[in-house]
Amino acid sequence: MEYSLFIKPKELFIDIVNPHDYVQIDSVSHMYQSLKTSVQKPLKMILLYGRPGTGKSMLLHKLHHDLSKHQKVFMIDIPIIDENDFLRVLAQKIYGYVNREVITLTSFLELASAVNYPQTPLVLLDEAQLYSAALMEKIRLISDARALKFVITLHKTDDEDIIAKEHFQTRIWESIELRNATPDELKIYIQKKLLKSNCFDIANMINDKNIKIITKLTKGNYRDANKLMFSLFSLYAWFEEHYPNKINYNSLKPKWIEMAAIHTGLIHA
Amino acid sequence: MLDIPSLERRWLKYKIKHFLPYVALIVILLLIPIIMISLYSNNNASLPDIKKENNPKKIQLIVPMNEEPMVLEPSMQFIQSLPAPTSETNAISPSTLKITPKAVISQKSAPPIQSSEIKPITAVLPVTSSVIQTKQTNKPSSINRDTAAFDIHEIEERFKNNSNPHLGLYIARYHYDHTNYSEAYNYALKTNAINNTIEESWLIFIKSLIKLGKTDQAKKTLQLYISQSNSDSAKILLDSLEKEESK
Repeated sequence: MEYSLFIKPKELFIDIVNPHDYVQIDSVSHMYQSLKTSVQKPLKMILLYGRPGTGKSMLLHKLHHDLSKHQKVFMIDIPIIDENDFLRVLAQKIYGYVNREVITLTSFLELASAVNYPQTPLVLLDEAQLYSAALMEKIRLISDARALKFVITLHKTDDEDIIAKEHFQTRIWESIELRNATPDELKIYIQKKLLKSNCFDIANMINDKNIKIITKLTKGNYRDANKLMFSLFSLYAWFEEHYPNKINYNSLKPKWIEMAAIHTGLIHA
Repeated sequence: MLDIPSLERRWLKYKIKHFLPYVALIVILLLIPIIMISLYSNNNASLPDIKKENNPKKIQLIVPMNEEPMVLEPSMQFIQSLPAPTSETNAISPSTLKITPKAVISQKSAPPIQSSEIKPITAVLPVTSSVIQTKQTNKPSSINRDTAAFDIHEIEERFKNNSNPHLGLYIARYHYDHTNYSEAYNYALKTNAINNTIEESWLIFIKSLIKLGKTDQAKKTLQLYISQSNSDSAKILLDSLEKEESK
């Protein structure tokens, strides 16, 4: 294939959480600064919650990326469901303790007290709703002992709200809620992402009407927006190859946006 | 890999599904005024219909009024069919009737009528023709109707009750036609007594005398009547009578 105008934009929207691809949006930036401030405080547990696709994981990765230069930070993005494995992995990653035997909570706390860090090590737990109640109780005991500081993310659903209330409400000192993107935020997010990669022509094609359609289809979900834009630019790349005269370089075709939405499953047709 | 043609088909299906409620709503919104207009026009159209329906009702009310005589017609027919008993009695042939004539005059016992007896009759003041015409128009229909199916006996009873000279004349004519000359004589005589201006009655009276063999009396009566009435028919009858006698 010859040089395609839409291949690069398409790759920009591959759904991979990469702190380097973090796009600074005012509201999210504010949340991030709040999170960073909370982490500096002597809090035992910080909750980051919001609906799927609101950028929790990205924020957690960004935090990990930014703080890991200054303090001991360990991120568990894929939940470790087994309790023994969880403690063993923590002991290994934070304290450098390698032991194939089962580590009890008591032995873990003893190990934590034996190792002295200038700042309390920070553990970032993504998808914390997947952890069992027993493991969450152990996490609480570890944080209460000030052995570790935890930042956990939760999907905000009705059921998960109940979990949050039951296991974290009385133990969490700080909670930050992330919300779905507004049309303006989504426009900034898409355009900034394109502009960062010098896709100026493509960024200029996106008008308010396009953003309105994209927001309506994705409901402000960043992950869905990424998937939609990936499919859309794939579609544009196909037309560019087969029917280039059908492409309007002044704006995105609403029909093609909807076709991309059908392809990604945002529209059930 | 994107399957663009399939995506376009799915998109078209999606758009149709997406806009179908709106199209349906627009169609309904367009149909509502049309239906309302049609209903309104139907209502307007139905008003004249009602008027039309009312008119026939009025007509129906009027028509029976006009047709009342028609409705009553059967009763009129019933009245007219009052003589029907005559038809029943007509089944009985006149020949089978057992008429017991009150023989005022019989062939044997009939006393000869003298001219003196006739004279007072002929001396009766002549009745004007107008009177005769009015009396003739009184019951012409009842006499002339269906003589074949007529109960002569009943007519005789009626004549006995009302002494109508026309009934008398009819009875006399009937009996004369049926060769019952004595009865014809009697009723012609009675008729002449009631009204002596009826020429036919006189002629039946004279012809009955002739048939009964009383030619002389008949000739005298005939001459007397000719002298009173100057009737041509009577003269012709007298000439024929004299010619027969000369033979």
